Amino acid sequence: MSLLAKFNAAEQLRSGLAGAGQDPTGVVFDAIRSATEGVVEGRETILAGTNNYLGLTFDPECVAAGIEALETQGTGTTGSRMANGSYAGHLALEAELADFFECPGALVFSTGYGANLGTLAALLEPGDAVLLDADAHASLYDGCRMSGADVFRFKHNDVSSLERRLKRLGERASRCLIVVEGMYSVLGDSAPLDEFVALKEQYDAVILVDEAHSVGVFGEHGRGVAEQQGVLDKVDFIVGTFSKSLGAMGGFCASRHRALGLFRYVSRPFIFTASPSPSIIATTRMALKQLRSRPELRARLWQNASRLYASLQENGFELGPQVSPVIAVKIEQKERALADWNRLLRGGIYVNLMLPPATPGSASFLRCSVSAAHTEEQISTIIEAFAGLRD
Amino acid sequence: MESVLQLSVKAVSERLAQILTDYLSNNWGRIPEKYRHITPRTNMVTELQLDSFQVMEFMLEVEDQFDVAIDLESLSDIHTITDLASVVIAAHAD
Repeated sequence: MSLLAKFNAAEQLRSGLAGAGQDPTGVVFDAIRSATEGVVEGRETILAGTNNYLGLTFDPECVAAGIEALETQGTGTTGSRMANGSYAGHLALEAELADFFECPGALVFSTGYGANLGTLAALLEPGDAVLLDADAHASLYDGCRMSGADVFRFKHNDVSSLERRLKRLGERASRCLIVVEGMYSVLGDSAPLDEFVALKEQYDAVILVDEAHSVGVFGEHGRGVAEQQGVLDKVDFIVGTFSKSLGAMGGFCASRHRALGLFRYVSRPFIFTASPSPSIIATTRMALKQLRSRPELRARLWQNASRLYASLQENGFELGPQVSPVIAVKIEQKERALADWNRLLRGGIYVNLMLPPATPGSASFLRCSVSAAHTEEQISTIIEAFAGLRD
Repeated sequence: MESVLQLSVKAVSERLAQILTDYLSNNWGRIPEKYRHITPRTNMVTELQLDSFQVMEFMLEVEDQFDVAIDLESLSDIHTITDLASVVIAAHAD
């Protein structure tokens, strides 16, 4: 049974996490009351770590669109997009995403993880080179590895580190894909996309930006960090998810290159996955419509984020480098972070616990994600709960 | 710096050991005292127990100091400082 011996380490990890109280990887929400409230172990709990940036999960129009799709199109497509799984809704959503990002085409995937895997596996092949931001999401690492391309990392958000590596690639730089994120999900910091784009143009490379956490959050129209920094039209591929600002599940790739239309013939994660269910497509389409027509949601989100960030900073907490809807509170010691996370949960506040080695600098973080749907009272309660950790 | 190609595995290993010592100098953390003198034979996995973040930071430093590009895939074959020296020399020859 030595095959299973590798799970000993996982068992040790599990025991360590559960030792301080609730296992942070096993929280169960017995009920979800709204976009910002749930019930955990019988306690009413404020949700402050759910990536529900625009708070659309209970939006009446999104819910109604989902119900209608369930009633008229059934519970699932029972097949992949290449076979029986392409409905009119899938194509309509792709057209709407293309319109949103002002590019010729978009492709819908069943998960955000699948979008990254499917896009990278289609774009790259052995012999190609990838320059990947060191703090990139696991799905980007996995997609790069799956492609068989040569993967080289550069220092997180470091323009000169990227340039040194482009230089080292020599002639290969023109067969190189630069992979970065718009906003990074652990610390909430944004990439210097304008500078990265300038480099990619200088070296005739291609850039892919994962805007999973930044669509709906950044930019005048909520298109993400590329829009905010004025380089949306120069980004080659934008990937993202429906499971954050859009409150559903699934992912997409949008591109100004018409080759995207051929991904469906070469992207194995796209070909061999059942397509998103009609209700998911319907709620996503409605959420995208809300994102576009209700800029006040974004304004409210930033209001809440700015207030929480400022208050936590005033309370002496060390935070991520910039104000954003992801607010990471740094706790040096892992044990202390685990204890504080449990204390917050027992006090009715759910945040994410981020532990090393999955964190920058081997520190631990209590990660809050703010929502447009948080009320002023809820933000006050979150601030008070964090202040209580100082006692 | 003289060309890496002109250096022996031993010489590159010694330089790598110094880079790693400098990197860890303020953060020996849980590394047992007996392993803190880093040599070409030091095993970064079993002795130093570097976590993935530390490996990444160290590798980025090595790439910049030797002006080489080390593919992520190569990392799985690297256990000792000497292993890494061979990879650095090979990367420089590419």
